[in-house]
This record gives sequence, structure tokens and C-alpha cells, in this order.
Amino acid sequence: MTAGAVAVRDETVEVWDSRLRLHVKIAGDGPPLLYFHPLHGLTWPPLLDRLARRYTVYAPEHPGTSPGDPQAIREVRTFGELLLVYDEAIGQLGFGPGRAAALGQSFGGMVAADLAATFPRLFSRLVLLSPMGLWRDDAPIPLMEMVAGPPEEVPKYLFAHPDSDAARAARTLPADPEQIPKAIAQSTWNVGCTTKFAWPIADHGLDRRLHRIQLPTLIVWGREDALVPVAYAKEFGSRIAGSQVEVLDDCGHVVPAEQPARSWAVISGFLAG
Amino acid sequence: MKVSLFEQVPYRYIPEGFENRYNSVVTAPYQVVEPARMTESIVSAYAELLCGARAGFDGICVTEHSQSSYDISPNPTLLASAVACAARTEGLDVAITVLGRSLGKTREPLKIAEEYALLDCISGGRLIAGFPVGLSYDANLNASLPAVETRERYSEHRELILKAWSEPRPFPWNGRFEKYGQVNIWPRPIQQPHPPIWIPGTGSPGTLRDILKRDYVFVYLSWDGPKLTGRQVFDRYWDLAEEMGRDRNPYRLAFLQVVAVAETDERAEKEYAPHLQAHFRSGLGAIPHTAMAVPGYAEPAAIEGMLRSGGPAGMLSRMKTATYAEIVDSQVAIVGSPATVADQIEAFVREFRIGNLLVMLQNGSMPRDLTEKNISLFAAEVLPRLRPIWDEEGWANPWWPRAAVPERTA
Repeated sequence: MTAGAVAVRDETVEVWDSRLRLHVKIAGDGPPLLYFHPLHGLTWPPLLDRLARRYTVYAPEHPGTSPGDPQAIREVRTFGELLLVYDEAIGQLGFGPGRAAALGQSFGGMVAADLAATFPRLFSRLVLLSPMGLWRDDAPIPLMEMVAGPPEEVPKYLFAHPDSDAARAARTLPADPEQIPKAIAQSTWNVGCTTKFAWPIADHGLDRRLHRIQLPTLIVWGREDALVPVAYAKEFGSRIAGSQVEVLDDCGHVVPAEQPARSWAVISGFLAG
Repeated sequence: MKVSLFEQVPYRYIPEGFENRYNSVVTAPYQVVEPARMTESIVSAYAELLCGARAGFDGICVTEHSQSSYDISPNPTLLASAVACAARTEGLDVAITVLGRSLGKTREPLKIAEEYALLDCISGGRLIAGFPVGLSYDANLNASLPAVETRERYSEHRELILKAWSEPRPFPWNGRFEKYGQVNIWPRPIQQPHPPIWIPGTGSPGTLRDILKRDYVFVYLSWDGPKLTGRQVFDRYWDLAEEMGRDRNPYRLAFLQVVAVAETDERAEKEYAPHLQAHFRSGLGAIPHTAMAVPGYAEPAAIEGMLRSGGPAGMLSRMKTATYAEIVDSQVAIVGSPATVADQIEAFVREFRIGNLLVMLQNGSMPRDLTEKNISLFAAEVLPRLRPIWDEEGWANPWWPRAAVPERTA
């Protein structure tokens, strides 16, 4: 698989007492950086190309979302088990604990944040892009409405400007019509696999663990986020000591797609710092 | 053949054009309801079921849906027990089919084991136990259970219920979803080891294999129109039955058909057409397609197959704008004089080898007097033609309640 100028290779790591073969996409050179993908599965957005020019990007695929292995999701019963699976997988990637930065987006942000809280020495730095994982009654997260609603309405939850080129580019279907049914089926199943641990409310008590994160942490949010409202930026920021919170104007839930230049500036600056 | 009266519990005063403004499930706005009319809608369904039992149907049948305007039946065992008690009091020998409590949706499967067992006792061993997975909107939105776990929950719950019914001594249950230190339900079903088990489904090969392997009854519903999908589903069922070494006993199959009978074809159309069209549009038609398959409910291969075949073949996916003509042409509903209706039913019953017929004779806004006319006419003039259809082949029907238990009155 090649995306842009960066070669991406696929490795599998056997974990969870050999019950799971976790696929990890790897690209680039430099210090290790782990990327945890959002609800719809791992695509390879331009952000990862940019990161791969400075880091070795390791992007694990959530169990069940790797093509050809849908039943893998059955082997992970709880969110707690998912964290253990990732801990095992990261241990096998060979760069040693505490060396890799972690970047998680949306659902992946919840995974990265809870890994950092559960295993405080696992990462070196933490970047959370509009993470799920908390709940406030005065700022409900319309996950169920988005996931079970009409597909044509999904962009309105994800983008401040659902009709923009950036929003369109982020949800392109395969050019080959023959591949479209498979792509839709895979993407739909992927959402089923991720929401298994986010349904109907993505709250596993992370608010009671976030204080354990002692890492340099960057939290980035779009001010117009219609899925996970920007109110949660402050919630994460106040619970993670010393964290840096950046709220980008004119930006929805998919921060790197809708504000690529500004989000890259804060992410790259933080990671280099 | 066995013919049962199936009834949903719709709110009968859904405002015109509802389907263009609202969904009929999950988010259906309760503000459209007038409380007195809700009571009337619910009580009428109960009365009509009893009317069917008195008119000579072999069984009555109810089903479960929550947060829905087209079937206000959050717990069908409540309705069934009321009918069962009344039927018992009147000495009516009628099977009680609950089609049923949704096993993939429940958070309390032992409650289902207990309720069904109680019903079997109340009815004197006349329960048919429906074990549906549950519709996606009900299991994954109303009950908010992760879609990808629906079938795993279903399997565990079914196993637990069957064991709770038949295990003579208390036992611990260390399941994945349920844990009990001691299971020892009272009462147990009169029918041992379990009442007949019927499983409604859309006819996916996985479900059909499971049903045939366990020797249960497959129940298919006419919502998609048997003219459009019947051939595919029933052929698949009987092919699989042969492949798995099962006989061609028609009682392995149950089918639910919407029927409306009047004195003549013309009168039937005039009396029923507006109710049928409005009901299908505002009820099933107003369920968003996406709510029928929340991501994770259907396997990726099934989604891909459906997309490659050009989308769903049946009427369900276009019910929101269905015309009366489409409803009858596809046989979602069979409407006409007793002779017309009996001819059409007999033709597909013989063609598809259906041994258990469920007929739905109330739809949406149909008032009680019209419904009871439909019930009486069907029972008097259609049912007698259908009942002997399989007699000449001489099959036993082990999927019907075996025997009523004689009363012991002190």
C-alpha cells in the first residue's frame, strides 16, 4: 500500500494468547509514533504521511476492522481487554516502553488516553484529537444518532462545513465501482467493531483515571465539533495536569481534515518540543 | 394445517402524513397520542384476540416491540397471559404463541424463562415459545446493546432459558453476559423439556441452518411480499432442510400473512384499502432503513451481498410510499372475498409447504367492528378450506402444544 510518497507496510503481531493477529500499518523513519484511528477504521489520511516524514508511524487496526478477519472482534470482549491487547501489541513492536508518542483521534483518542492512564509508562507524549471517553449530561454526544442515522447525514456531525472539499475528500469511495460494495460493507462493519466499546455512551470511567496521565499531553479540538462538543476540551485539559489545550476555530470533529495547516502546526510543534 | 390469529397493537389514530414527519420507532413522538384513544387501541387488540379464540382459530399470536407506534407491545407475555386466562375460563382450546420476547435484546433472560413458563402453566400447556433475535432498532437502539454482540447474547440467552426450564436441580450459570449463583425458576413449563420453539427471521442461511439443526420452526413474515421474496426464502429453507437430512414436514414452517376479507372483492378493497395503505406507510414504512441494521448487526459479507444484488428485493425497503396496488400485487396483504382470499392463500401454502399459518387481520386504523368482521368472516369461510390442506400427507405436528393438561379442580 502506498499513499502519497510514503510507503506503508502491513505487519501482524500475534497477541492475546495467540487468539488475535493484530494488523499494524507502518510507515516512515524516525522515532516511533503510534496512531489510534477513529470510528470508521484506519484510512491513511494526509496527517499520517506528514508524520511519516519525521517519525516511524505505527497504526494498529482495531480488532475486526482488518479486511478478511471480521470475527477478530469476538476475541475482545470488553474495553478493558482491548487496552490489554494493545499493551501486548505495543510490547511486540520492538521500540520499548516509554519511547513512542501516541496520537489518537476520536474513538482512537479514547483508546490512547485510557492506555496512557492505565499504563502510565507506555508512551512518551500524548496527542488527543477530539477524543471520546467522557460524558456530560449538558453536552450529549450524538454517537447513536450519527451511527444509526442516514449515511448522508454523517458529515454534518463530523465537519463544520460538510460540503467543503476537505469534507468530501475525507469520505471518498473507491474509484472502481466494483470495489464500492466491499468498501461500504467494511466501513459499516468497522463502525460496529469500534462502537462495541463506545455504545451507547463511550464512558468507561476514564474521568476517574485521567489523573494518572503524567505525560506531556496536547489536546486539540474543533470549536464547531458537532459530535463530541468542544466543552470536553476543558474536561480533558483540567483532568490531565500540565496539558496543553488548543481549540481551532472554524473546525469540526475531524480536525486534521478540516484544518490541516493549523492542526499540523500545533501537533508538529508539540511533538518536536 | 394450523391457523392462528396474529395481532399487533398499533395506535389506531396515527395522524395522516405521520410518515413524512416522524419515525414510527425509537423517536416516534408521543405527543401525537390522545390517552383515551391509546387505551382503546390496546384494549381492542386484546378483545379481538379473544374474538379470534372464540371464532375457532387454533391459536393466538402476539409479538414484542418497544418504543414503537405500530406495535405497542413492550412485553407480549402480558397481553398473552390476559388472553390465556380468559380462554381458559371460557374453555377455549387455543394455542398461545408469543413470537416473542426478543432474546438478543433482553437484559434479563431468566425473566423470559419465568414468564413463558408461567404462560405455559396458565394456558394448561398451550404455549408456543417464540425465540426471536430482536430487530436491530429494538435491540441496539431501544435497549442500546452493542450491535455486534446481538447474536452472541441471543445464543447465550437461549441456552440459559432452555436449561432453566428443564434442569431438575438448581444450577449456577457462569455465562459471558449473565452470571447467576443459582438458577431454580418456579414454575417450570408444563411442556417438558420445553414448549414448541418457533423462530421468526428474514431467512438468512445462518438462521435457517440453526433452526433446522435444532429442529425448531422457522417463521417468515409477509412484510416483503411473498410474491417478491417467498420463492427465494422458502426454496432456500427446503433445500437446506434436505441438505441437513430433515424431512419435508410442512409444520416445520410458519408464515405470517396480512389478510382482509369482505363479502365481495370490491367491498373488501373499499373497506380495507385506506387502512392498509396508511398502516404500512406510517408503521413499517416509517422505520428508517438504517435502524433495521445498526452497524455491527449484519456481517460484512451480508452487507456486501445485499449491495451487490442491487439492494433489498422486498417491499419493506419501499413501504413508506407503498400504494395499495403494490401492497396487494406483492401479496404483502391478501384482500378480497372469502373465495379470492382462500384461493390465494391455498396456492402459496401448497407451493411453499407451509403448515402453520398466522393471519394478521387488524392493521393500523382499522376499527374494532371492522376487525371483528374480518375475523369472523375469515374463521367462518376461509379457515375451513385451509385446515385440511395437509391432512392427506399425514404428517405429525410435533411443533404444536402436545396436549392440554386436564383441569384438576378440588
